Amino acid sequence: MIYLDNAATTFPKPDAVWDAMDRFARNDAGNPGRSGHRFATAAAAQVEGAREEVAQVIGAPDPSRVALCLNATDALSMVFHGVLHPGDHVVTSRMEHNSVVRPLNALARAGVITVDRVPNDAAGVVDPDALAALLRPTTRLVAMTWASNAFGTIQPVQAIARHAKAHGAMLLLDASQAVGSLPVDVAEVPVDLLAFPGHKGLLGPMGTGALWVREGVEVAPWREGGTGGDSTNPFQPDVLPHRLEGGTPNAHGLAGLRAGCRWVRERGVATIRAHEQALVARLLDGLGSIGGLTVHGSTNAEDRTGAVSFTLAGMDPHEVASILESAFGIAVRAGLHCAPEAHAALGTAPAGTVRASVGPFTTTADIDALVAALGALATVTTPPHSA
Amino acid sequence: MDADLERYRRQVRLPEIGEDGQRRLRASSVLVAGCGALGSVAAVLLVRAGVGRVVVADRDIVDRANLHRQLLYDDDDAATPTPKAQAAARHLARANPDVRCEAVVADLDRTNVPRLVESVDLVIDGADNYELRFLVNEACVRAGRPFVSGAAIGTYGLQFTVLPGETACYACLVDEIPAPGTTPTCETAGILGTVSTIVAATQATEALKVLTGRRDRVRRTLWAFDAWEGTRSEVAIVRRTGADGCPVCAQGRYDWLEGRLGGPAVRLCGRDMVQVPPPAGGRVDLDAVAAGLPADAGVFRSPFLLRFTARGCEVTLFPDGRALVRGTDDPGRARAIVAEHLGM
Repeated sequence: MIYLDNAATTFPKPDAVWDAMDRFARNDAGNPGRSGHRFATAAAAQVEGAREEVAQVIGAPDPSRVALCLNATDALSMVFHGVLHPGDHVVTSRMEHNSVVRPLNALARAGVITVDRVPNDAAGVVDPDALAALLRPTTRLVAMTWASNAFGTIQPVQAIARHAKAHGAMLLLDASQAVGSLPVDVAEVPVDLLAFPGHKGLLGPMGTGALWVREGVEVAPWREGGTGGDSTNPFQPDVLPHRLEGGTPNAHGLAGLRAGCRWVRERGVATIRAHEQALVARLLDGLGSIGGLTVHGSTNAEDRTGAVSFTLAGMDPHEVASILESAFGIAVRAGLHCAPEAHAALGTAPAGTVRASVGPFTTTADIDALVAALGALATVTTPPHSA
Repeated sequence: MDADLERYRRQVRLPEIGEDGQRRLRASSVLVAGCGALGSVAAVLLVRAGVGRVVVADRDIVDRANLHRQLLYDDDDAATPTPKAQAAARHLARANPDVRCEAVVADLDRTNVPRLVESVDLVIDGADNYELRFLVNEACVRAGRPFVSGAAIGTYGLQFTVLPGETACYACLVDEIPAPGTTPTCETAGILGTVSTIVAATQATEALKVLTGRRDRVRRTLWAFDAWEGTRSEVAIVRRTGADGCPVCAQGRYDWLEGRLGGPAVRLCGRDMVQVPPPAGGRVDLDAVAAGLPADAGVFRSPFLLRFTARGCEVTLFPDGRALVRGTDDPGRARAIVAEHLGM
């Protein structure tokens, strides 16, 4: 089997990830920081080690500003429920994942906030000037994706950040498709809050994620509970990361995330990016010669992540994905990719697209196999659907 | 005779049943797993015989093509989309108001089968596919409930009862699910209504033996017949015991119950489409499936897929056996339609 669904979760992971989890689980896995014995302190060291590694990958100078959590959805929800107040205005885009769409819709429906969406071009790139025009004095938050999970479109985050900053709005970036795959440096992009999973570009296991909070930005705790220290305090502690980390963390997973981050740093994000960009260029080149196949989003590999979305004329994306797996042994994702608004914005709703997404372990042979399979598929006419 | 047994007096008069047997029946409960030609007929026989509680479970709706053999249903049921379990429970309650009849409208799978099986004394096999038979067999073996299996196709029927711990189980009999599409189904090969009725009546008879306390009288062989030819045979089924014996009843491995085999059908977001996972048993011979389809099924075959219409839905079948069913958002209905053609 060829795995081309790395935008959903990277697979495989480096062996170092499983080795680290195995070692930790067998030898050290006490409850981090909850007791004074060897196991608890070893686990706490593991969690802090993961925090430091994550901070390094995103260029964060202070690891304590990294709150470790379950996944990007968890990190995003922490922000929506921790910074927004009644009457706040939020600006977002039409290219968002449901992890941004749904909580904002729920808060808007409850009458807590109002939301505006920035328009985008045919490739899915939002217009920063249009964003600026939507900002109001009550705009508390600009929340958008660094790169679209459905189409791979990379957003002009520098320009977006500049506008948000100039208007005094907080900027939250959903960096799910970016961290570990694209150069992400919070010292260079004036973002306030960065949410991302551990199981995608950082090559950690599922059930890990993080929210980075810039110095001076306050996020009220959404989840309150035990933190291992400061137990006499009747309230959630004020200091990060404990303020946002109530409850026993996924220390087993974080041991793996730590190893994944280390692998990413040793390989180098620039190297990973170059590898993935070359694969995407090869894929776009191959797909361009297939009749009836349309690539959605930019046709330039530099403007994309490793995710490429396409449709075949007359074929349902689920049918294409089913054929790719059952006849060619290639795993891709079909449908809306949890981003129905993005498909509406790019005219690919309601059927969605087929998405092939590369990762650090994808090879040129994998890409060539996909292109050959799609070429063979495109030569076969399929009649229109009857039902 | 007690007044409450009056209704059953001609059954009670039988020395095989008697007042004691009849009271035992009333205290007993049965799950009918699948309510088609076998399940619906066995159910009404058991309800009329006075079983205390009968649970009928089915994922499908009544279709006009069912009516020539599924004696419990009528044209009204088929006129509007009516779940079989619901229609069955309604008709059963009228057949004998003394019996508690419960409908379960659901795709029977590993999430609901164990609870249903454990809630009754005996299970009637009304499945139209191997996966469900294997699953229910595992649940019955694990819970120690008799599983009265049966099958009918064309003019041919067979019946076999699993008494956990005493007889061979269904997995002793069928050690491997045949490749999907290689076995005939009622949709592809046809079915004589008399044949399924004979099998269902036989299942009900074996069930009555167990429920009246005459387990010793249960036939321990596989009974097979061809109703048209008038031939019949009995085959002894040997328990596959020992460490390398039957994975289910000898080794206690419950692959279907524990989810190592089989998988759920998935609704595809907002598409009126369901993806049915590949069945066990290996790759599908799409040409063989195509050959069994009626001329008006709008068959399209490419090297990569087979597409046809069935019961108002468009089915696209892929070489590994997965299917996309367009025109429904009901996973149970989608599975039922696919099962009619693959027998899986």
